[in-house]
Amino acid sequence: MTLNRSNQVLVKFINLTKRFGDFTAVSHVNLEIKRGEIVGFLGPNGAGKSTTMKMMARLLKPTEGEVWIRGNGELIKLTSSNKDVLLDNIGFLIENPAFYGNLSPRTILRYFAKLKGYPRKKLNSRIEEVIKMMGMLDWIDKKIKTFSKGMKQKIGIAAAIIHDPDIIVLDEPTTGLDPKARKDVRDFILKLKKMNKTVFLSSHLLYEISEVADRIAIIHHGEIIAFDTLENLETKAKKSVIHFEVLNPPENDLDSYVEDLKKIIYPLTGVEEKARWVKFNPDTNIFQTFFDGQSTNQLKILKALISNGYDIIEFSVPKAGLLEDLFIDLTKEEKIEMEV
Amino acid sequence: MAVNQVKEEMIIDLERTRVGMKRNFSQIGNTFTFELKKNLKTFLIMLILCAGIFLLFWLVQSLQEIQDVPLPENPIDYFQSYLTMIGFLIILTAAGFAGSIIAEDFQKQTGNLLFPKISKTRLLIGRVLARYLLNAICIIFYYLLASIITFIKYEEFPLIILISLGWALYYTFSIFIFVTFMSSIMKSTSATVIVSIIFYLMIFSMIEQIMSFLAGGQEPFFILTYYENILTGILDMPDPRYREVSFGGGPGTGLTEGISFTQWITPNLMTAFWGMFLYSAILLTLAYIRYRRRQMKSED
Repeated sequence: MTLNRSNQVLVKFINLTKRFGDFTAVSHVNLEIKRGEIVGFLGPNGAGKSTTMKMMARLLKPTEGEVWIRGNGELIKLTSSNKDVLLDNIGFLIENPAFYGNLSPRTILRYFAKLKGYPRKKLNSRIEEVIKMMGMLDWIDKKIKTFSKGMKQKIGIAAAIIHDPDIIVLDEPTTGLDPKARKDVRDFILKLKKMNKTVFLSSHLLYEISEVADRIAIIHHGEIIAFDTLENLETKAKKSVIHFEVLNPPENDLDSYVEDLKKIIYPLTGVEEKARWVKFNPDTNIFQTFFDGQSTNQLKILKALISNGYDIIEFSVPKAGLLEDLFIDLTKEEKIEMEV
Repeated sequence: MAVNQVKEEMIIDLERTRVGMKRNFSQIGNTFTFELKKNLKTFLIMLILCAGIFLLFWLVQSLQEIQDVPLPENPIDYFQSYLTMIGFLIILTAAGFAGSIIAEDFQKQTGNLLFPKISKTRLLIGRVLARYLLNAICIIFYYLLASIITFIKYEEFPLIILISLGWALYYTFSIFIFVTFMSSIMKSTSATVIVSIIFYLMIFSMIEQIMSFLAGGQEPFFILTYYENILTGILDMPDPRYREVSFGGGPGTGLTEGISFTQWITPNLMTAFWGMFLYSAILLTLAYIRYRRRQMKSED
């Protein structure tokens, strides 16, 4: 074992393909996941995310292509005969976890850790450590049937990491959770990164991915259509929406207020005249404007608003918005519904 | 990464049970103990059911005694009266333990957590062993209750009861495997339980009766429930093992001539052994193949 292991590829998909009869669920996916990074796997429902992850878990056999996983210091092709060895260092949370309701997290986690050969002497302390990480120590001996969906999801993640794997694969970990539980899961994923764990995370929720991922692979109709860092993807998008909030906007005559804003903002957006717009959302009190995504223009717009006497209390470019634009650009399908 | 953390990882790596035969057996063992815990509630319910059925028969016997109906002279005959519903008890307990053995992974999607931590083969072996053990204990418990009451009444314990118990456990295993097979093809636990009981109460009996008419005296070795008769047959093996049943013809019956057919009472030991063996082997293999091929619902 060497100390300098960063940038090491831990997982590699080569031309990974899965067909169900005539239907191609995953088509020639090529992907590399490096040690210590969080790779987001983004795509709408039915894009092939879970199928790809199931092939990685060897729950499905690829029709074509290979999965390579690092074991004993070298990348080894995953096969039926070596899957026990190679998958030992990976923790999976595949789709929605369902538990045996009449058992406690302690009993279930103990079973899962034992299955993975975790040292018996360290079992109890490991279970408590993981449950504590989830902030659920008070619930460790309660029956799971009394848990909320978010709590069950946390136990699902705990089950994936109980044997202390280096790689953690999370398939839609925030689906169906309330905003608080989603944030908890996101925070935990970031905590895993700090622990130098490698995370492969899938979601159809743009925001969930953009908040945590170092690199994002976008999959559509089973094909990877983009794979890069968030910053590079944003650059490729070359267009963005600024969200800003003004202290005490007028309750009356909002139209002329917006018109005044347009006069200030439009020359600085960097986009052609017909593409310019400024909108106001009365529900959130947020103004939005479209610009070319260049940070220099973003700064100019902010400075211009302040120098013209507007009391700006919020000014941001939500990352998910960029990705959504990029996704639509890449797929050329305007009707694709992506939840933000 | 800090040196201490690397050291800690290395220690865990060294202490971890390596994959291979040792891990395979330990996974089966871990599944076995986990399943015992998981099915504890079902086990208690089934024990209560056994006790309930025993009490029902004991009540009937007691009422007969109060009405001065004499006890059978032979303790075996007395014991046999407690086995009237043993087949139904076996299917109920087997359905309780094996009904969910495969279906629940797909119905509740619990399989999403289990795989790929453990292979389906090892999981199924561990589950079958643990649940069958619990099922067997229930049947032993029922035999024990019936034996105790027989001993109290007659102050003797015919050892042939132990041989009947052995056959009961063997038959329980066959029925358990039958329910396991049903669980592998059904979508839910409740459907498995219902269909298994319907098969026991209706389908097998109907096939047996139809074949009695059509197959002209052929022993119904292809009917799983036929082997249930060995449990009582071993206590007092009839000779011959079948009887001729006749319906007389004549006015009002719609028949000009009578009908007769052969009704088999019990299989002999060899037929019972091989019949149940083949049934168990074939159904377990089919259940295993079906389980291996069955996939979780995808919400991709």
